[in-house]
Amino acid sequence: MQLAQFGGSLVAILLLAWLAHRLGLGGDLRIRSEDQARELADEAVSGFDPVDIAIDRAGCSAILRDASGRILLLRRHGAHFAGRLITTRPEARLDQGLLTIGAEDKPFGTVTLNLGKAAQEWAASLRRLEKVGA
Amino acid sequence: MPEFSPVDYAVPGFVLLVLLEMLWAWKKRPEAYEPRDTLTSLAFGLGSTVAGLITGGLFLALFLWVWQYRIFDFGPEWWTVWWAWPLCFVLDDLKYYWVHRFGHRVRWFWASHVNHHSSQHYNLSTALRQTWTGALTLGFAFALPLVLLGFHPVMIAICGGFNLIYQFWIHTEAIGKMPRWFEAVMNTPSHHRVHHATNPRYLDRNYAGVFIVWDRVFGTFEEECPDEERIRYGIVKQLGSFNLLWSVFHEWVGIVQDMWRAPWRHKLSYLLREPGWTHDGSRETSDMIRARWLERTGRPEPGAQENPIAAGERTA
Repeated sequence: MQLAQFGGSLVAILLLAWLAHRLGLGGDLRIRSEDQARELADEAVSGFDPVDIAIDRAGCSAILRDASGRILLLRRHGAHFAGRLITTRPEARLDQGLLTIGAEDKPFGTVTLNLGKAAQEWAASLRRLEKVGA
Repeated sequence: MPEFSPVDYAVPGFVLLVLLEMLWAWKKRPEAYEPRDTLTSLAFGLGSTVAGLITGGLFLALFLWVWQYRIFDFGPEWWTVWWAWPLCFVLDDLKYYWVHRFGHRVRWFWASHVNHHSSQHYNLSTALRQTWTGALTLGFAFALPLVLLGFHPVMIAICGGFNLIYQFWIHTEAIGKMPRWFEAVMNTPSHHRVHHATNPRYLDRNYAGVFIVWDRVFGTFEEECPDEERIRYGIVKQLGSFNLLWSVFHEWVGIVQDMWRAPWRHKLSYLLREPGWTHDGSRETSDMIRARWLERTGRPEPGAQENPIAAGERTA
């Protein structure tokens, strides 16, 4: 009986998730302006007030710096955005205008931002951060 | 002795209502649902029922043993004492308030309860986002006074089941505010949206299960102000992952890592103090986030001074 209940619930769960997908729920949220990036930054880290903002060309992520030099990485997570402060020198790779950053928090994953010319400048500022354990 | 689990009967209704809310979202607010988030939340729900089956028997046995030492005896046919049912329901809801408050204020408890909050969405699937690790906390101990008073563990379990069912429908953005008299007494979608919010003004507020009066009595009530700011849901440091196992265990992993790295005299504090506490001040608790926000915005502390219990906790 309990096994049947478990099986039935599992089928219902998969059907609901499939339906959410079929209905196109979740939308396609992008960062369209600096004001929006600013608002998302404040949501990610309360009180974070950026003075430098670089938004990925597709609007899927952004990197921001506040007046005290803290760097915040924002990326899309489903129908929302999530952020991480980059406090130590991260694993980062620069490939022309593409900057790939791995947050210290591994499950957060790596983020590739298409920043064009600004990518080099941001890569340099990441290199200036202290290494882990330094 | 009655053998009845109200939640089992409610599950088809849960599924139907999630379906209806999805259709509402499709018409009105597509961003209210996200397929991977929904799948994660519902998988949490399924896993929690399995965890409950594994550990439920142990707790029932413990409670039955404690029940032998009860103060009041409702007789051999305790389920026929009609007035014991509403009394048990109200007292169980009071118990829920305190378990829930501890769930947010003690990191050991939070490690389990955080699962319910880690979605950035607020919909009926979030209601089913229940923990798998509740048995690893001391939450069960809060029911012991009820058992010692004489309420049979099965009666408490049934009342707890109805409490859980009540809380399902309040996890929605599809309902604005209920009539004033209802908002004054009962927990509602509006009150519970505040509870799930990460906006500094709303952090650690509205712990109620069924009756919001507990928050009003104990000084943790906060009114939803949709005209002043948009509510954001989730946790202060959003997970940023749909990985189910990471979602289930991330805070437990965090506690172990923090205790491992901390100096000996601080190790236990990482288990017993509030989430966000660190011995070196490198992270922020909800009180610190709220205090900084109040300072930034120049607002007075809302409501707290009116209530000696709330004010006492803040100064402790």
